[in-house]
Amino acid sequence: MSDALVIETSDLRKQYDGVEALRGLTLQVPAGSIFGFLGRNGAGKTTTIKVLLGMVRPTGGSVRVFGLPADAPDRSVEIRRRVGFVNDEKDLYDYMTVGEMIRFTRPFFPRWRADLEQRYLHKFELPADRRIKALSRGTRTKLALLLALCRGAELLILDEPTSGLDPAMTEEVLQALVTHVANEEMAVFFSSHQIAEVDQIADRIAIIDRGRIVVTGALDDLRENFRRIQLVFDHDAPEAAFRSPGIERVQRNGRVLTVLSSAGSDRIVEEARALSPASIDIAPVTLKEIFLETVVAED
Amino acid sequence: MLWYKSWLETRWRFLIGLALLMLSAAAAVAAYPRVVQLLPLVPTMQVGGVLGRRIREGADFMRTYRGYIWAQWLRQSLANMMTLFAVLLGTGGLLSQASGGGAMFTLSLPVSRARLLGVRAATGLAELAVLAFIPLLVILLLSPGVGETYGIVDALVHGACLFAAAAILFSMACLFSTVFHDVWRPALIVCAIATVIGICEPFAGELSRYSLFGIMDGEIYFRGGGVPWVELLASAAVSAAMLFAATSNLARQDF
Repeated sequence: MSDALVIETSDLRKQYDGVEALRGLTLQVPAGSIFGFLGRNGAGKTTTIKVLLGMVRPTGGSVRVFGLPADAPDRSVEIRRRVGFVNDEKDLYDYMTVGEMIRFTRPFFPRWRADLEQRYLHKFELPADRRIKALSRGTRTKLALLLALCRGAELLILDEPTSGLDPAMTEEVLQALVTHVANEEMAVFFSSHQIAEVDQIADRIAIIDRGRIVVTGALDDLRENFRRIQLVFDHDAPEAAFRSPGIERVQRNGRVLTVLSSAGSDRIVEEARALSPASIDIAPVTLKEIFLETVVAED
Repeated sequence: MLWYKSWLETRWRFLIGLALLMLSAAAAVAAYPRVVQLLPLVPTMQVGGVLGRRIREGADFMRTYRGYIWAQWLRQSLANMMTLFAVLLGTGGLLSQASGGGAMFTLSLPVSRARLLGVRAATGLAELAVLAFIPLLVILLLSPGVGETYGIVDALVHGACLFAAAAILFSMACLFSTVFHDVWRPALIVCAIATVIGICEPFAGELSRYSLFGIMDGEIYFRGGGVPWVELLASAAVSAAMLFAATSNLARQDF
């Protein structure tokens, strides 16, 4: 286990009643990164997060947070002391007021940041004496975020933090998150199926599909290395078996052969020239396209 | 703070139970003078069998204040209401809160599941103890108002018996609450079990005084058998075993 990793899973597996939610998930989240965890609904994002927090026991593989085994109940308590968490439902205690919820949470975290508590109470305009049951979804999300940010955590784990929010509220929450992380030394691991928000704030990403990671890396590296190579032929595109490494997908459609590469596009282009195409077009790929090509295309 | 959370979650069940039990105790005391007036009208019956014995006993008990309180209130109203509120206090918890009730937030706190259940159980048991002892205290305090006295030792022993037996039902409800994801199934199952025990008791002969409701109404003590230490300790052991099983079951759950 490297000291520079806050999360490290290896061949992580979880089975629910015969259904495999995680199928050998291997993931590494470096300290200090904002790590976007992308996947479709039901891909295994929430299950992964629950395993990290000790809410779900894995059926195989290893999982470590801060170098501690998250599947050991006593170590899991220590992990949770160092983690801020916002779940996708933002389910808090409906019978408490905002003030009670904050006073309830505070004593569990020795490094609680009273200064941030006051700042975010003011910034998010949270009504301290209003019952949580009466809060709008946006205000509830802001409270959940306050409770996570003030823990003095070394790692923030956010499960779909902006789900159900309107665009303005989403932007406000993301800005608050980015500003907070810029001022504090911490890593953020957040799941989402909103590609735009991951693209906006993440510096590293992993794409999960059907319980396993299909793409992972620094976002800049992915943008740099992923290429779509389009070969147009005068006749029907040939069946091509590329041997170069880095080929993610090859698609034939009439006279067009499209190759998605994750590395070594130059070598692939060289190999493609041997097929004598009429034209070769190399284009960069957006995160949305990477996602669609690696996840949706598998259907 | 977990204590505070448990209190907030159970306070209405507890407070309603306390109010009803205190009201029931006060009503039992207030009704006694009228019962004394009506007693001479009760004919002497010669009916055989267990039920006949019970009916005769019931009439005999009411000739003393202590007997009246035991037979008419402690063995009937109080036992029934304690059963109900022990079950209500024992239900709920993490599993029933798993969909939108804050369970995910609770589980993200740096607290073990054993401690979560332990605090929840301890809060419930403390509330149950109040429900067991306070109504008897009401009897103790109001009795001079109708020209009677109720012994403090009687109140303490019957309170202990009520608490020990109710704790079994409470722990059973806690255990079933770690199996089912709703509040109603654990409550209904434990109520059904209690009802079956109650139905079978009259046919258990002398053994009935050692059954759940026999312990709850403190029959051994009432009939002069002394403090039923063995029964109280056995009840505590059964409750502890069920709470341990609930803790183990909760620790194995995925959320």
